[in-house]
Amino acid sequence: MKITQQSHAGTLESGDVLIRIQPVDTQEIEIELESVVEKQFGTAIQRLIHDTLNKLNITGVRVIVEDKGALDCVIKARVQAALIRATGTQLLEQNWSEL
Amino acid sequence: MNDEVIFCCVLKAEISRWQQIADFLQRNNLNIDLDIEQFIVALDEQQQLVACGGIAGRVLKCIAIEPALRGHGLALRLMTTLINQAFSLQRYELFLFTKPENEALFAECGFHLLASVDDQVILMENSATRIHRYCRQLAQQRQPGQRIGGIVMNANPFTLGHRYLVQQACRECDWVHLFVVQENASEFPYEDRLALIKAGVADFKNLTVHPGSDYLISRATFPSYFLKSQKIINHCHMALDLQLFRQQIAPALGINRRYVGTEPLCPVTAQYNREMAYWLTTETLSAPVIELHEIERRQQAAQPISACRVRELLARKGPDAVRSLVPETTYRYLWQHYGSPPVAHSLAV
Repeated sequence: MKITQQSHAGTLESGDVLIRIQPVDTQEIEIELESVVEKQFGTAIQRLIHDTLNKLNITGVRVIVEDKGALDCVIKARVQAALIRATGTQLLEQNWSEL
Repeated sequence: MNDEVIFCCVLKAEISRWQQIADFLQRNNLNIDLDIEQFIVALDEQQQLVACGGIAGRVLKCIAIEPALRGHGLALRLMTTLINQAFSLQRYELFLFTKPENEALFAECGFHLLASVDDQVILMENSATRIHRYCRQLAQQRQPGQRIGGIVMNANPFTLGHRYLVQQACRECDWVHLFVVQENASEFPYEDRLALIKAGVADFKNLTVHPGSDYLISRATFPSYFLKSQKIINHCHMALDLQLFRQQIAPALGINRRYVGTEPLCPVTAQYNREMAYWLTTETLSAPVIELHEIERRQQAAQPISACRVRELLARKGPDAVRSLVPETTYRYLWQHYGSPPVAHSLAV
């Protein structure tokens, strides 16, 4: 799946996360993570974002994450929402209950 | 009470609202900057303005919060709204001006320090890696040599004065890196200025012409440069711009001398040259010293050749009046834009 435009989802408020998605020239997945709970959950958040991208078959992307202590389900939902916006119509056919 | 706040957008055209914002900023020891296009404001139940933040291009500034409401999470809500508004304008790569004491607050919003001026102002951007990625790209164009020169020019438009400066630098250096100011705030659009520079310096073999970036004389680093007509000279902006050059861009390319023309006509540029002498050569900053080489302007008819003079003559008398001040390539371009071209073939670039 290709990232066709920059996008974002979320907020900076406590318990939420602000996600930004940018296309990159390579096929890599770059994650820039800042989190108020980075010490405790940094690795887990990285893994969650990787998983979410992998399930949707997305590469060639930079994900900038400004986390304010969001729960996993929130992070996942924000990443997915940003990806829908970043991929135009490509994700509309996705069966979301599978994810 | 925080929850009762509503956010809305105020455009410059809304004069009375704009004045309210100016008064609010004044009470918080800030001035409203002239290049701001719109504000996000927070209003409480009594419709009183309690917080605001401005957007000027991709720069966020003039951000203030009513002192009594600080420390209750209003800042993060304001910043979310402000950032979202900028994003919805397709401006994703943002900069932010603030006072040094607010650095931690904006760090919480995803902004990272780029440069600071004493206790007066800091410049931040909303990425931890963007400037490093940019510098890595630049570093791929490093050239060997002892004397590596750097020039930043707007070239609005490219004149024989610019060419002379480049020529002097190329003569004195092993390699010269020339950056073109990218901001489209001048009479001549960026693409044309870049093309005219490339055409006008094609014969110099130890020169790389680089496209400009946000980190070199842009609306982000140096907003007052683009408000020249208002004769606003902002010492802080110049200092931020020059520090980025010295600490990030010059080391990436190994630049150890910067070339500028003496500036007899334009007060902003003249002041910039003076600031340069300080910010590039003072020993106290962390990055290596950059020699400043100020080249005497080339003269024509006992007057210095400058882009100011060319523009002024052009407006009054047309392209033929400036023929002796610009290279052939610029002359042909001017004809294409101001009348029928004297040469049949178009500018090849």
